[in-house]
Amino acid sequence: MQKFLAVVKHEYKRVVLKWSFLIGTLLLPFLAACFAVVPALIFSLKGDATRIVVVDFSSKIAPRLQGNLTAEKILEKGRKAAQDSLTDLTPSQEEKMKRGTEQFVEGFVFVDHETQSKTLEDIRAELTGRIMRGEIDAYLFVPPDIDAADAKFEFRSRKGSDFVTNDTFRDAVNEAVRSQRLADANISEDRVAELSSNVNFDAKGIDEKGEEKNSTGTFIASFIIGLMIYITLAIYGQAIMGAVVEEKETRIAEILFSSARPFELMMGKLVGVGLAGLTQLAIWVVSAVAIVSVIALQIDSAQLLSSVPTITPLMILYFLIFFLLGFFIYASIFALIGSMVTTVQEGGQFAFPPIMILLVGFYFSFAVIRDPNSNLSFWVSIAPFFAPITMPVRILAETPPFWQIALSICVNAVAIAGLVWLASRVYRVGMLMYGKRATIPEVWKWIRQS
Amino acid sequence: MITFDIDFMNDNNVTLRVENVSKRFGDFSAVEDLSFEVRSGRVFGFLGPNGAGKTTTIRMIVGITVPDEGSIKLFGHKMSPDLQNRIGYLPEERGLYKKLKIVDQLRYFAALKNVSGAEADKRIDFWLERMNLGEWKKKKTTDLSKGMQQKIQFISTVLHNPDLLILDEPFSGLDPINVEFMMEVISEFKTQDKTIIFSTHLMETAERLCSDILLINKARKVVSGSLREVKESYGKNLIALRATGGGAIWEDKSIVTKIVEHSDEKEIHMADGASDQILLKRLIESGAVVSKFEQVEPSLNDIFIEKVKGV
Repeated sequence: MQKFLAVVKHEYKRVVLKWSFLIGTLLLPFLAACFAVVPALIFSLKGDATRIVVVDFSSKIAPRLQGNLTAEKILEKGRKAAQDSLTDLTPSQEEKMKRGTEQFVEGFVFVDHETQSKTLEDIRAELTGRIMRGEIDAYLFVPPDIDAADAKFEFRSRKGSDFVTNDTFRDAVNEAVRSQRLADANISEDRVAELSSNVNFDAKGIDEKGEEKNSTGTFIASFIIGLMIYITLAIYGQAIMGAVVEEKETRIAEILFSSARPFELMMGKLVGVGLAGLTQLAIWVVSAVAIVSVIALQIDSAQLLSSVPTITPLMILYFLIFFLLGFFIYASIFALIGSMVTTVQEGGQFAFPPIMILLVGFYFSFAVIRDPNSNLSFWVSIAPFFAPITMPVRILAETPPFWQIALSICVNAVAIAGLVWLASRVYRVGMLMYGKRATIPEVWKWIRQS
Repeated sequence: MITFDIDFMNDNNVTLRVENVSKRFGDFSAVEDLSFEVRSGRVFGFLGPNGAGKTTTIRMIVGITVPDEGSIKLFGHKMSPDLQNRIGYLPEERGLYKKLKIVDQLRYFAALKNVSGAEADKRIDFWLERMNLGEWKKKKTTDLSKGMQQKIQFISTVLHNPDLLILDEPFSGLDPINVEFMMEVISEFKTQDKTIIFSTHLMETAERLCSDILLINKARKVVSGSLREVKESYGKNLIALRATGGGAIWEDKSIVTKIVEHSDEKEIHMADGASDQILLKRLIESGAVVSKFEQVEPSLNDIFIEKVKGV
């Protein structure tokens, strides 16, 4: 036992005190924070207000346009966009972009320009001159008859690629023109807004207790959980393989085997690296909670919290249990491979099949998210190899009855017992076989022999 | 010789007893019906050509593998994890963690032998100083020369103060100065009544260090016993002679079988059972002038080559 603990301590320190662990552990939350905060920060760096001349030949649009572009109006629009992005978490890329920009539009300053008794060409030349001298940033020609078939709104800007400003301005122009048309047709604008308002579509899931729950954020959260478990299992499984190969390659195994039982050594390795993985997960969970609460403080928290699925402490316990189950399943496979091969490169080739199985499990989690109660979801969340990814996803999407979780834990625990037994038999022989890679028949012989 | 041994077969005097041990890998027989004893406080030379079965035998002794047949008793008991703590094993194929600090590696190896904490640190410091490697304590393996790594490996073998030291080719890769140094260190263990099993195919080193030897070849025992006994029982008495005269004596086949002429002396091969004292006496009686008359023992190297080739 004392030796086993020595191995656990050694392996734990070996992983945790590495730079790559520190960087990996800190970098992920940092990157996540960057993705959440940096685009917002960059867009919120407001430049100068756009100075614009509106030449209104119809003399109807300019006042409406100015009304649409007051500071208050822009602010209100931004707030609405921010809310939309929280309640609907699966927008298209284009929508996402637009929402991001609408929140951070700059102001507009309307500049006068004397147009009395000048030709269109003269005005255009004068305004282009002013843009070139930097006195104004843009101008707009509103045609005399806005309803004419060939009516053209001519917009020229010094900042042609500033899509944020351009989009906002175009929207404001469209809105102004629409209001004018409605007014011309004697239709009340408020009435139209009233009639064309969206229905209040209240989409909520019902859990097994018959209680309503908000399901909008479940997809994202389940996906993140599945991805996190997949990544950590792949990384730590291969870390185990690397450690085993190193001890074989450097012939340390021979010294180790003369000091402690191979089973002790292998299990110590698995437990030590597993604890390191748990440490990393714990840091991530804590920092995720911290990031979410920081964001919640900044934005309307009620909105945000209603869209994030409730995660109970029991769920976190389940996640950790299934992470450990997955870890021991894949780590023992990787330990077995590590003791078969002679170099890390060779191990890389053999690592492909278990990684594929892991990936298939990850793909199954999509099916589970869509329909957590289907037969498929049931079976893949019980089956060994897949359950460590699919069951946490299923628990988050819609917690299955306890007996299913218990069954899944038992099935996977049995699988672990079998795999550890297999791996330890291959390990104790394979670690002392230098020179060439073991063939499958050889490995089979080791398993049956000892 | 055998009856003599049985009298002393109580476990106080025998550190290791190997009885009728065999180990096979598939059709290949690595060790076949091997029996020997290692007496306490002696340096036991375990000799044989490459592939003779030395490493396989040692692995069974230290409990890495189990014999197919026969029994191995260490300090009078069957192998157990506790007994492993009393062995220090330096394998021929050995290494260190590449990216771990020397002190951390040594702590880990000590912990695996149930030595930890301040006691481990004390011994690590002592041994690093003893090996003149004190300043390398916090360095990584990759910063050390091959010879230094060898010394670190040796330290990891002796940190837990083992009663039985098994050294498999401990000098390979060391320069002559370090070989001398390591021999000195190993001799210190000898004076502390530790038992040392020393495996090598370098006969000269074995001859210098070992009090008992076992020679195996092709999985089987070839010769065993104390170095003295082995040499005597080898029965190939040679005399290095520098003399003038002697005449008729050289024709007496009951005394001399063969004479090999060297540049300034003769190598006399004595007949079986012939006494070198008689030869000397007859030489002097015959009026020969003897300036050198020396019994030459066959070297371990000669025995090794003849036995291994002869099998």
